[in-house]
Amino acid sequence: MRIHVADVESGAHGGGYTLESGTARAHRSAPKVMRNVDKSVAAKTQTLVDAPTLPMTEAAYLPGIAYDEMFTPEGEVRPHYDPLHGRMSTLGAEELAGRQRTLERSFLLQGITFTVYGADNTTERVMPTDLFPRIIPAAEWSKIEAGLAQRLQALNLFLADIYGDQQILMDGVVPRELVLGAPSYRREMQHVYVPHKAYANVCGSDLIRCQDGQFAVLEDNLRVPSGVSYMLANRDAAKRTFPGTYRAAGVRPVERYPDLLLATLKSMAADWRGDPQVVVLTPGVYNSAYYEHAYLARLMGVPLVEGRDLVVHENMVYMRTTTGIRRVDVIYRRVDDDFIDPLTFRRDSSLGAAGLFNAYRAGNVVICNAPGTGVADDKAVYAYVPDIIRYYLGEDAILPNIETFLCREPRQLGHVLDNLDKYVVKAVGASGGYGMLVGPHASQKERDDFAQAIKADPDNYIAQPTIQLSTAPCLVDGRIEPRHVDLRPFILSGEKTIVTPGALTRVALKRGSLVVNSSQGGGSKDTWVLAEENGQTNGHGNGSARP
Amino acid sequence: MMLARVADSLYWLGRYIERAEHLSRLSSVMLNATLDQTDSGAHAVRIAMAAVGDPADGVDVGSFEAAEALVLDRSDTNSVVSSLARARENARQVRDQITTETWERLNLLYLKVTDDKAGKEFSDGSANFLHDVIADLHLFKGAADTTMSHGESWRFMMLGIYMERAQLVSRLLEVCFAESPVHGHVDDHVALVSVLRMACALEPYLRVYTAEIEPRHILEFLVFDEDFPRSIRFATAQIEQHLSAMARNAFTGERPGPERLAGRLKARLQFADVDELEAVGAGPLLTTVVNECARIHEAIYETFVAYPLETRLPA
Repeated sequence: MRIHVADVESGAHGGGYTLESGTARAHRSAPKVMRNVDKSVAAKTQTLVDAPTLPMTEAAYLPGIAYDEMFTPEGEVRPHYDPLHGRMSTLGAEELAGRQRTLERSFLLQGITFTVYGADNTTERVMPTDLFPRIIPAAEWSKIEAGLAQRLQALNLFLADIYGDQQILMDGVVPRELVLGAPSYRREMQHVYVPHKAYANVCGSDLIRCQDGQFAVLEDNLRVPSGVSYMLANRDAAKRTFPGTYRAAGVRPVERYPDLLLATLKSMAADWRGDPQVVVLTPGVYNSAYYEHAYLARLMGVPLVEGRDLVVHENMVYMRTTTGIRRVDVIYRRVDDDFIDPLTFRRDSSLGAAGLFNAYRAGNVVICNAPGTGVADDKAVYAYVPDIIRYYLGEDAILPNIETFLCREPRQLGHVLDNLDKYVVKAVGASGGYGMLVGPHASQKERDDFAQAIKADPDNYIAQPTIQLSTAPCLVDGRIEPRHVDLRPFILSGEKTIVTPGALTRVALKRGSLVVNSSQGGGSKDTWVLAEENGQTNGHGNGSARP
Repeated sequence: MMLARVADSLYWLGRYIERAEHLSRLSSVMLNATLDQTDSGAHAVRIAMAAVGDPADGVDVGSFEAAEALVLDRSDTNSVVSSLARARENARQVRDQITTETWERLNLLYLKVTDDKAGKEFSDGSANFLHDVIADLHLFKGAADTTMSHGESWRFMMLGIYMERAQLVSRLLEVCFAESPVHGHVDDHVALVSVLRMACALEPYLRVYTAEIEPRHILEFLVFDEDFPRSIRFATAQIEQHLSAMARNAFTGERPGPERLAGRLKARLQFADVDELEAVGAGPLLTTVVNECARIHEAIYETFVAYPLETRLPA
């Protein structure tokens, strides 16, 4: 997912976002953005040029109109931030800067970098990381956890249905042409047996906290979501940066993710395969998420394979080893659907293995996530997710959606066209911020042009209101300032559904910006999910299981 | 069990590490030798440049420029920085196979030599720069030795290191002692000391032969010594040992496996001596070593990496 917006002239206020699907595929360097903060904002937020060494004062930290994770609108510190706030106010600017440098150096050393391809040389950059953790109290988390488990369960049932008897389409809950016409719908998956109906084994949903403080789902990522290695690396760093605070706060551990992932993947293998051979399939060392692929393979203790290591013979998948070929049972693939098998999908791909999909259909190998899961995180299908949850589970969605207008519906189309200046409009199939209009920041001519495009192909567009992301304190140029953040938790689903008690919090490092994507100047920070509140633990140490 | 591609990367990781170390040492010795205004210094430069395969260079451009190019020229695939970049690229390919401690050593060194400031650091103090590079490479090997399991992954890396070493030392000795109209025999004391330094052998040599530096003894030490880790015999014994450990699980086809080729070479070095070498000249034996290493390299590929699939499919 990529939240995208022009730098907002009115400082920390306003702005829109758009979303699109989330495989980390871009190598683009972060565009350089001029700081054109206008004077009134500068006066309000940057008066600290001659401030004392303490990098945060009340005058400096003005969260604006968005919900702030640390401060109430009255300026009180929220109770779950007390330990961190206490520690922050005892550290001087020098000390903080030193810790920030140590943090970045350790990331560079570990090779937690993404590659930026330039004209004459290639450089590697560290994913920017902020040293202050974002803290989520136990009560809020238990709602998020329940909401995510519910949502993924419903989406898996939805996938099983549309690749099976298509009952939901017969009942008219979701329009047939919307599903079957989506580019991510894979006809080849029709009637393929998927164990436990677990189509999306790894899901990374993007949540945002709205102005009223409620979390809402911005997007589901059911294809090949990435970022979990940053969650683990950030945690590792945070423990070293604020050990005392970490201990005092009572944070739930995330370190079990790799072995829970392995257990999930193994649970997908056929029962008669005694000790299933799991592998991670990567597009290769030039992929921007390669670090994560290698990291997960290393921590799970399974081979990291590329397409050229795989051989399909008589519908069995093997890998080439030094002692001959060896059978593969489960493939955790980090390669998009299109590229996994040139015989079934894109012919020009060399990233997968020829014949892989037939071996999958024959039940001789399991591909995780299943091909075709993208249809359930389609931007237009998104609007129906609350109905999908109600249809399969008979429950109301615990986590709300963002209000979404489908231009394919004539009434909604009319509403969107009449209010283009209020909405963010996005093309369903486009990505990377293309084919998108940020209504409040567009000129009248841009809006008129876009209206023509929408009218020409209404099926291809959706619209959403511009929403403020919540803000959290970040260290920026030696001062503590509010920056917009989102939340990407990771949910595993195999025999059981497990929500990891932690998340990747992505940060828009530019003032006022709502862009959290790393290719666009976004960074990340650790996310502490607290185990207890008011002296009461909420039980389990590692994720809750929902059958 | 490991992936064939991974074995390939680990093997080349070892080779490039060893190459980077050797090139750094050649540059360092070369620069050091030219500090004294003698013909021997120029001689040492000629030996070093010939050993890296550039017999014409080095004399005209000046030894500093030659050394700088040998270390920092990224466009030259045979420079220290290119070798380190390739070593790291291979390490990245198999990041899941090597320990974090090992990876960090190499990554740190790579970041240092590719840094924008590397050129300035080199010109400010080339001796220190090269000393640090070599020390970092030793740290890498130490980290690999003490943190990685000494199983198949580690063996492939060590195989690469010793294969490269056997070839590099053979090449160096060929340049110095094989009959060759271009260079002639090396018999000058300073030049001979430089040769020992290039093989990182000066101190161990002195302990065996004292400060009497003789071409005959240098040959004996660098070819036949049983204990010195940079002698050709030692490297060959290591190659043979790693290959026979892996051959237990390997598929045996019709052709002799790499472990048999290595065993043959090892036996040959074990039972030859320096008198024989003096009688016929060092050239033929050193050429045999280089050629046999090339055959072993091919056999490793045929056995472990690029084998034809038809022979391995389940019946």
